[in-house]
Amino acid sequence: MNLRLTHFLMWLAFIALMFAIPEFVSKGTLRTLIFANFLAIFAISWDVLSGRTGYISFGHPFLIGIGAYTSAILTKRFDVPIELAIPAAVAMTMVGGVVVFLPALRIKGSYFALVTLAFMELMYQLVQVIRPDLTGGTRGMSGVQTLTRGAVNGYYLSVSLMLAVALSMWLLMRTQLGTALSAVGMNEESVRGSGLSVTKLKLFAFLTSAFVAGLGGAFYVHYLGSIAPRALFDINFLFTIIVAALIGGASTIIGPVIGAFFLTFLLEYLRPYLPGAERYFIYGMIALLLYMYEPKGLIAIFSKGWQRLRGGAGSEQSSAS
Amino acid sequence: MQIIIQGLLLSGLYALIAMGFTLIFSVGRVLNLAYGAYLLIGGYVYFTISQTLGVPKLIGLFIAAIVGCMVGLLKYRLLVKPLKGNHVAVEISTLILAVVLQAGVVFIYGDSSKILLPIVAGVTQVAGASVTYNLLAATMASWTILIGLYFFVRKTHVGRAMQAVSMDTRGASISGVDPDKINMFTWGLSGALGATAGVFFASYTQLSPSMWVAPLIISVAVVIVGGIGSIIGTLIVAHIVGFMEVLAVAVIAPELRGVFTMLLIIGVLVVRPQGLFGREEL
Amino acid sequence: MSAALRITNLVKRFGGLVATDNLSFDVEDGQSVGLIGPNGAGKTTVFAQIMGEHRQTSGSIELYGREISSDSTPERIRRGVSRTYQVPRPFTDMNVLENIRVGLMPNNIWQMITAKPRYQQETEIALSVGFTETDLQKTPGELAMGDLRKLEMARTIATGTKVMLLDEVFAGLTVAEIAQITVLIQQMRQDGMTFLIVSHDLKALEPLVDKVIAINYGSKIAEGSFNEVLNDEAVRSSYLGAA
Ligand SMILES: Nc1ncnc2c1ncn2[C@@H]1O[C@H](COP(=O)(O)OP(=O)(O)OP(=O)(O)O)[C@@H](O)[C@H]1O
Ligand SMILES: [Mg+2]
Repeated sequence: MNLRLTHFLMWLAFIALMFAIPEFVSKGTLRTLIFANFLAIFAISWDVLSGRTGYISFGHPFLIGIGAYTSAILTKRFDVPIELAIPAAVAMTMVGGVVVFLPALRIKGSYFALVTLAFMELMYQLVQVIRPDLTGGTRGMSGVQTLTRGAVNGYYLSVSLMLAVALSMWLLMRTQLGTALSAVGMNEESVRGSGLSVTKLKLFAFLTSAFVAGLGGAFYVHYLGSIAPRALFDINFLFTIIVAALIGGASTIIGPVIGAFFLTFLLEYLRPYLPGAERYFIYGMIALLLYMYEPKGLIAIFSKGWQRLRGGAGSEQSSAS
Repeated sequence: MQIIIQGLLLSGLYALIAMGFTLIFSVGRVLNLAYGAYLLIGGYVYFTISQTLGVPKLIGLFIAAIVGCMVGLLKYRLLVKPLKGNHVAVEISTLILAVVLQAGVVFIYGDSSKILLPIVAGVTQVAGASVTYNLLAATMASWTILIGLYFFVRKTHVGRAMQAVSMDTRGASISGVDPDKINMFTWGLSGALGATAGVFFASYTQLSPSMWVAPLIISVAVVIVGGIGSIIGTLIVAHIVGFMEVLAVAVIAPELRGVFTMLLIIGVLVVRPQGLFGREEL
Repeated sequence: MSAALRITNLVKRFGGLVATDNLSFDVEDGQSVGLIGPNGAGKTTVFAQIMGEHRQTSGSIELYGREISSDSTPERIRRGVSRTYQVPRPFTDMNVLENIRVGLMPNNIWQMITAKPRYQQETEIALSVGFTETDLQKTPGELAMGDLRKLEMARTIATGTKVMLLDEVFAGLTVAEIAQITVLIQQMRQDGMTFLIVSHDLKALEPLVDKVIAINYGSKIAEGSFNEVLNDEAVRSSYLGAA
């Protein structure tokens, strides 16, 4: 597993910091942080699939949506207790993950990205017309049972979930499996030529990604208490997830987390100066420039800066991956 | 009968929309996810010039095309070229760009959608179906442009160079064609086509900051299903998609208009990734 | 006893093109065989069929007496055959040791999660193909062509292969690198490895092979000792025709 004491201490510090935050910030900021936590979960989910294996998903809201809708429908329409609804939603999302996985057996690259985009659009259109009595149709659902009351509790729940996901994915990706998944992203043929079943590895990545997306989606809907198709199956939402992962640093765990917080706060801190839509303009431009400048993300910028600070002495890679 | 006429008209529009996207995909081998943004820009530029400033419509259309062309050129210079060869990066950055442009439009014009007056006003009856002159004009413009493009690619020097680059970039550069110039040209042309299509599309539906998504999906469907870079394939599939939509609306339910398009994309990509009509020639 | 690798009546068509035309040959256990032919003769295509990257149109491929035609590539590798590529295909963001690690991994998700990497074995393999200690942390981008070919071989060795297929091992190498790889192959032959080697560099191939098979347009035109094959009329004219 290659765990070192420094890793352990860094995680401990990170967790302590995250849990201490409610002591220092306002309720409004806390609400922003809750959103950042969920975004981080979605970005990690995207990254496990796309950042590692190179199968770019432009349809992640499809998976998140399955999780959110399943849990919302089960609790609201069928009075299923939430403790059962969420696992069921996760299972359902994993089925969705298999559906997305099937095209990946045959196509890759841009074509795969487009298929996933089509999945998302398809879902958007179907949700509105098929059984609107269940899904709430175009307007969606409100009055979905919530798990917590108040910003502080919401924060603790979301941050615990985010940390649990981040930590377990981090541990998983440090095993040989993580190496193998990254290898798939670099050269699929060579992975096969090394005697490993690429199909098995891909399926695992898709299922893991769907698991995280379903978990995040289900908890998200029970935090919001409502769900609307246009907000969920939306290119802007997709954009935020992908950009969070890429801006932070794809193929790492801490990267998508940093990216999610960076984006959320960028948007929040632009608010006083630019109240309207120009905010999104600036925000998109910053994202674009950052991405063009360093496609490996903030984490690469930080670690380069850190190495320069240490006079380039330590050759050790900052391996937060 | 109504369905056939509606289908033909809509399909003509879709073919025009998809054309610029096909060009980039076949010559530059990249997916320009910001393609829909040309339509956005075209529509809004035309709106400003002709509807707000009252400049004659044809001039407005022309200026919209020029602006689209310039945006295409800029995009190539500033975005695609620096990221050379990295398709994923191009796709993601064009996606970001599309979102940025959308925000830009909201910034300038506000969030609410606007009605674009028909470019050609009036309605006529064809075989019992009411047809707006506007959509008719769009379809005719589309056919004119498509036929023009077809002969341009086959018969002119630049067109053949585009074909050469689309088949084999390195081979083309050995035989004296500068792929960079041809790429520039294609991006400009694609931008102009997209902006023109945007004016017609906006006058067919309406002008709104999020109007770029639907045409992008249509282009993707047409191009993917037709086979990358095949003008004839594009034309045929534009008709398949157009007719499916009209049929879905008329026979099943208006809400399902896009569903079959999505299913078509997914089905074809999975079963026949090279498209129904192959991918060889422009 | 049966051969390590036995190809019988192998045919591969790409549309109208016959890339492998009723080809049969044996490679005995511990033997080293050269596979030569002009450009486009179909050598790489034979490798691709042995590994299951392309399915043959007809004919059989046996490994140690067992038909492997219906096995997947990873299954064939587990049975003891593995290849290198004409154009090296390393994992670009991984260092030498990590590249080898992928070859050493068990093809089992659960074991990948629970088992530790075999660091010692990785290093041993890397050193055995001639990497120095300082090379181990380098990524493929920092390596010369000769090193990339060594890395291909190292990853192949890591899969535990008994029959090694080498595609154009000498292409693009300096004289010194050729010498190094020659020594490496000689060493492995002594340790009992079975080889099928494709090379355009006939001079480099000569000391390494027990027998040579020449093909053209996918079919065998000569088989025998290096000198016999090189003096064969059909072989000479096929090379002249291609030149
Ligand atoms: N996937 C494929 N589809 C169609 N034709 C192919 C394919 N792969 C190889 N060919 C054709 O099969 C023939 C044999 O190719 P192959 O690469 O096996 O030759 P080779 O002997 O390895 O040549 P070289 O010395 O150039 O490496 C060539 O004519 C090639 O064009
Ligand atoms: Mg070859």
